[in-house]
Amino acid sequence: MNILDFNTKLKNHEISAREAVISYLDVIKNKNQKLNAYLETFSAKDGKYDVLLEAQKLDERVKEGETPGVLWGVPFAVKDNILICGKHASAASHILKNYVASYDATAIMQLKKAGAIFLGRTNMDEFAMGSSTENSSYGPAHNPFHFDYVPGGSSGGSAVAVASDMAMAALGSDTGGSIRQPASFCGVVGLKPTYGAVSRSGLIAMASSLDQIGPITQTVDDAEIVFNAIRGKDEFDSTSVDSKIFSKETVSQTNTVKIIGVPKEYFTEGLDPRIKGIIETIIERLSKKYEIREIELPHTKYAIACYYIIVMAEVSSNMARFDGIRYGTREKGESIIEVYKKSRGKGIGKEVLRRILLGTYVLSHGYYDAYYARAQKIRTLIKNDFMKAFNSVDIIIGPTSPTTPFKIGEKFNDPLAMYLSDIYTIPVNLAGLPALSIPVGNVPEDGVDFSVGLQLIAPHFAENRLFEVGRIVEKLNL
Amino acid sequence: MISKNDIAHLKDLARVEFGEHETDALARDMDAILDYMSALKEANIDNVQEMTHAFDIQNIVRVDQSVDGIKEEYTKKARSIIDAFPEKEKTYLKVKAIF
Repeated sequence: MNILDFNTKLKNHEISAREAVISYLDVIKNKNQKLNAYLETFSAKDGKYDVLLEAQKLDERVKEGETPGVLWGVPFAVKDNILICGKHASAASHILKNYVASYDATAIMQLKKAGAIFLGRTNMDEFAMGSSTENSSYGPAHNPFHFDYVPGGSSGGSAVAVASDMAMAALGSDTGGSIRQPASFCGVVGLKPTYGAVSRSGLIAMASSLDQIGPITQTVDDAEIVFNAIRGKDEFDSTSVDSKIFSKETVSQTNTVKIIGVPKEYFTEGLDPRIKGIIETIIERLSKKYEIREIELPHTKYAIACYYIIVMAEVSSNMARFDGIRYGTREKGESIIEVYKKSRGKGIGKEVLRRILLGTYVLSHGYYDAYYARAQKIRTLIKNDFMKAFNSVDIIIGPTSPTTPFKIGEKFNDPLAMYLSDIYTIPVNLAGLPALSIPVGNVPEDGVDFSVGLQLIAPHFAENRLFEVGRIVEKLNL
Repeated sequence: MISKNDIAHLKDLARVEFGEHETDALARDMDAILDYMSALKEANIDNVQEMTHAFDIQNIVRVDQSVDGIKEEYTKKARSIIDAFPEKEKTYLKVKAIF
């Protein structure tokens, strides 16, 4: 059941919020042990936040005659790096194993206000670093189509939860594709909003100039509903903006997409020919309604290297706070330096340490200009590619991921191979643009049908175009 | 090439500690990754500005306003922050001597 259907039933008293929550908890009980999507469900009565109690409160209000808002009683899964006051938030790391959030993330606060319910916190790559959810300190999550395959990442748990009826909708975070790629691998819809459209307050930071919170949902309509609930300027995040005001200034308000751009760089070698075929068929069908124009994004080839330099630099700085001093797990040591080193060395996993050290390296004296400053300049070139393209097209279309899901363990010991799997999603974050992944077809492999995701990319603050074309693409699902 | 000494120095700077075996594996991974990143050297970046933000925004400083008294909400929050201390004495955070 999607959000809109549920809301209609709730309005007509055909279902109660409590019934919905119970049915989701039942599914979680049956499926989670195998899929490992949730690290915790919030059904324990600890006096702070209990899902059934929250649902009951809403049901009473419906009974008293209030008209339920569109998100009333909607059971959400929340990625483990988004804070919910009084609940554990570990970012799937050992060092935050015992950390309890002392405040709500702004996105959570807004969803609470809108009447949403939080079923639990979901598995992810540690501190959102990874593309497979294998880097979790609490074991990998599994692909809902095939248990031996990855669900994508880093918001893998959230995507699995929505794909396997363990949540009606979910929140994830996207730094280089962490919402869109798992959405694509699990056959659900994932939205990465414009940088600044959604407050990052209460999101455990990975790379602050790239991170965005966004929804993972069953339908494009649902993604729009959740986005509208969480967007907005927030005094706790100085990089957040009122996207309604910004979009009026920067985006044409005629609001109809006429020309769709197809970047030729997104259809070269490395793209699975079966995925290519599906995306091209969709484009062919769209050509009956829209003008299709080939475009160039010539700096795409630098995107991954550029992205990882920036990410590692920002990671090494953001991860400095996890030292076992004020919160988190502390190891014993003879001196304060030893306490830092041991707490960090033991509490933080391999991929995160790798990025911390690489970040320390690229920012160190003598290397700064060669790596970080150069990457920031190439970032400008990548953004300019998009700006130029958007002078002649209204929206850009392409695949979300170059491959179908890979096997658990296949890329685990080859970090570079893992990094390369984000080629189509990374440039979007570098440019700060909004993008939407929508399931559009299936590719048979290893006895199952894996879902294939199509990505739409729009200019800054033009999420409305993503939803407009997204709804049409959704109906073309092959 | 990243040497073992380089890694030892980086570990020191980043204040992390882990075993010999992991250090070797990391040196190999870092070489491969840095080698891949060297592709950026061929890009022409003459007259290109560093990108520091996705679009133009201005830094805004808010008015410094005092808050009346200490609300219960704040004491509750302070309590939960103190509760999270890994080691404490009464309400003080306990750490090893800094100097």
